[in-house]
Amino acid sequence: MPVATPTQDIAVRLSDVRLDRGARTVLSEIDLDVPRGSITAVLGPSGSGKSTLLAALTGELVPAAGTVEVFGQPVPQRQRALLELRKGIGVLLQGNGLLTDLTAAENVALPLRTHTKLPRPVIERLVAMKLHAVGLRTAGGLYPRELSGGMARRVALARALALDPPLMVYDEPLTGLDPIASGVIMSLIARLNASLGLTSVIVTHHVHETLPVADRAIVIANGKIVFSGTPSELEATSDPLVLQFLRGEPDGPIAFDTAERSREPA
Amino acid sequence: MPFVAATRSLGRAGLFSLSVLRASKPTADFFAELIREIYKIGARSLPIIAVGGAFVGLSVTLLGYRALETYGAANQISALVGLGLYRELAPVLTALLFVGRAGSSIAAELGLMRATDQITALGLMAIDPVAKAVAPRFWAAVICVPLLTAFFCSLGITASYFEAVHVIGIDAGTFWQVLRDAVDYRHDFIVAFQKAAVFGGTAALVACYVGYHAEPTIEGTSVATTRAVVNASLLVLMFNFVLSALLFR
Amino acid sequence: MTTRGPRLEFAVGAFLLLALASLLVLAIASTNGKFGFGGDTYELTARFTNIGPLRPMAPVKIGGVTIGRVGEITLDPVRLDSVVTLDIDNRYQDLSIDTSAGILTNGLLGESYIGLQPGGDLESLKPGEEIAFTTPAVDIIQMVGKYMFSGGGDNAAAAPADAGDAAPQSPSPTEPPQP
Repeated sequence: MPVATPTQDIAVRLSDVRLDRGARTVLSEIDLDVPRGSITAVLGPSGSGKSTLLAALTGELVPAAGTVEVFGQPVPQRQRALLELRKGIGVLLQGNGLLTDLTAAENVALPLRTHTKLPRPVIERLVAMKLHAVGLRTAGGLYPRELSGGMARRVALARALALDPPLMVYDEPLTGLDPIASGVIMSLIARLNASLGLTSVIVTHHVHETLPVADRAIVIANGKIVFSGTPSELEATSDPLVLQFLRGEPDGPIAFDTAERSREPA
Repeated sequence: MPFVAATRSLGRAGLFSLSVLRASKPTADFFAELIREIYKIGARSLPIIAVGGAFVGLSVTLLGYRALETYGAANQISALVGLGLYRELAPVLTALLFVGRAGSSIAAELGLMRATDQITALGLMAIDPVAKAVAPRFWAAVICVPLLTAFFCSLGITASYFEAVHVIGIDAGTFWQVLRDAVDYRHDFIVAFQKAAVFGGTAALVACYVGYHAEPTIEGTSVATTRAVVNASLLVLMFNFVLSALLFR
Repeated sequence: MTTRGPRLEFAVGAFLLLALASLLVLAIASTNGKFGFGGDTYELTARFTNIGPLRPMAPVKIGGVTIGRVGEITLDPVRLDSVVTLDIDNRYQDLSIDTSAGILTNGLLGESYIGLQPGGDLESLKPGEEIAFTTPAVDIIQMVGKYMFSGGGDNAAAAPADAGDAAPQSPSPTEPPQP
């Protein structure tokens, strides 16, 4: 377990959090500290509740028990305070979430135009900078349907960074990308984290692409955190569940034959 | 119980409508979106409305002529067409055609936005998705449907004129004079556009509500589109009856 | 679905212009042009023992020319006759005090309207005043019945006087119903 660090150095702290979706408890007894400036990978099998964890961070889901603190403040529930919090968190979603009616540049400009009163030329320069940072300086005038998967992901990244948020959250950033595009995204995440002094939380199941970049890793399975430590500690683990996940073995603690599940009410 | 569920559903829809109205702020961004939506749902619906109006005008003229001729009142054909169009046919048929073309596309677009995480992304960027995506579509519909109704009427009356005067043989002067005598500006003409505005708003709210709350899957989007068309059409017909009962003495 | 800026704006502008133009043309060419509001008319009242099929918004005509519309029709609970409010266009002032009002029919199947017959008095009706001389509506079926069962021509003069539900309370001019 990590040594207790002073609160200013902790970007995100979850204390004994339980998260429910409807009547079902998805995660429980979650204790997590994310140090400022670090890259934390949240790993686990599909359906283990990783995205639910993110929802608690952004305030979409209110914890059934425990507290979630971002930069020392508990995540608010009231509209206005929640909006302020969200301006400080950049989120890269699995589906990109680019507005189809706007060009790439207009998409990146959206948070700037809505939340700042900067004049148009300034916004245009900022947008150009963000697009340049992700290597898409020439793609500003294209519509999302004209972009490849990797390019669209990068535009979404530029948009998430538009307001220079101190905390970045990535929800499955490598889904649907070829090896080169994956490499581009991971290297961008690492570089931007270092150069902009961000804190990043990456939810993913692409273990082998993510571990080289991460400072810390946690593994979620069966509704709990089953491992928390550095990537080298993760690779040296003897926990059978974690090993099965790391090696991609078809059978093990998570059985090949699915257990019978009672039909949940919708 | 289905009754409780239905009432809750109605309540949710009502609250959603309130939030759409509350979120309608006249910013520059809003107007840019509004113009884009007017193009998508108004200007691009023009062909179907125009063709529909022309054929309805022709059909009613033909049908009305047969009926009136029996009483020697064939001259009144333009009154029949004019009053029929303004009072009932134009607002209702324009609204139904609009629901089919634009209502379905609104529901599909919003459903797709839900499925591709655009709505979630807006929320996470601290931008109200209702203000950005729903309100412009609602107001575009309220503006466009009366205008489309005007097109429907003009095409309908023009088609009726050609049928009545050049095919059937009614005197042109009689046609226009009888029409003008029969249609009252305030009680027929204006009422038609009041109805149209109500129908446009209703159709838009239904389509927006169903699309916005669709399941974030491909199947969810298609279910939403169908529901939007069915529910909006039914509501238009219901409100037409209510409005006619209230507005026509 | 997406269009570049200037072309989109032109398309929308054209659509709006066309729609407004067609609205304007429709309003002028296909309606009765009564754009006016309350200020363009003044009110007169008239009492009838029987209004027949007269409805609000029916025309008020002098010699076949429409000069106004019927506004309200109510029943006086005390005298039990109907009080009809006429909205007369402001252009037609100074109708003489002995103007008479009758409820007439436009052809055999047409709508009911109020026909005013001007009188000769020098004094005129002021807004809000009541027309003193009225003829109630003629019930065609009853009249035909009386013709048929009272033996034909000799009783023709008696028939119009018997028409209607009750004897007319006000002195009625004996002109034949005429549009």
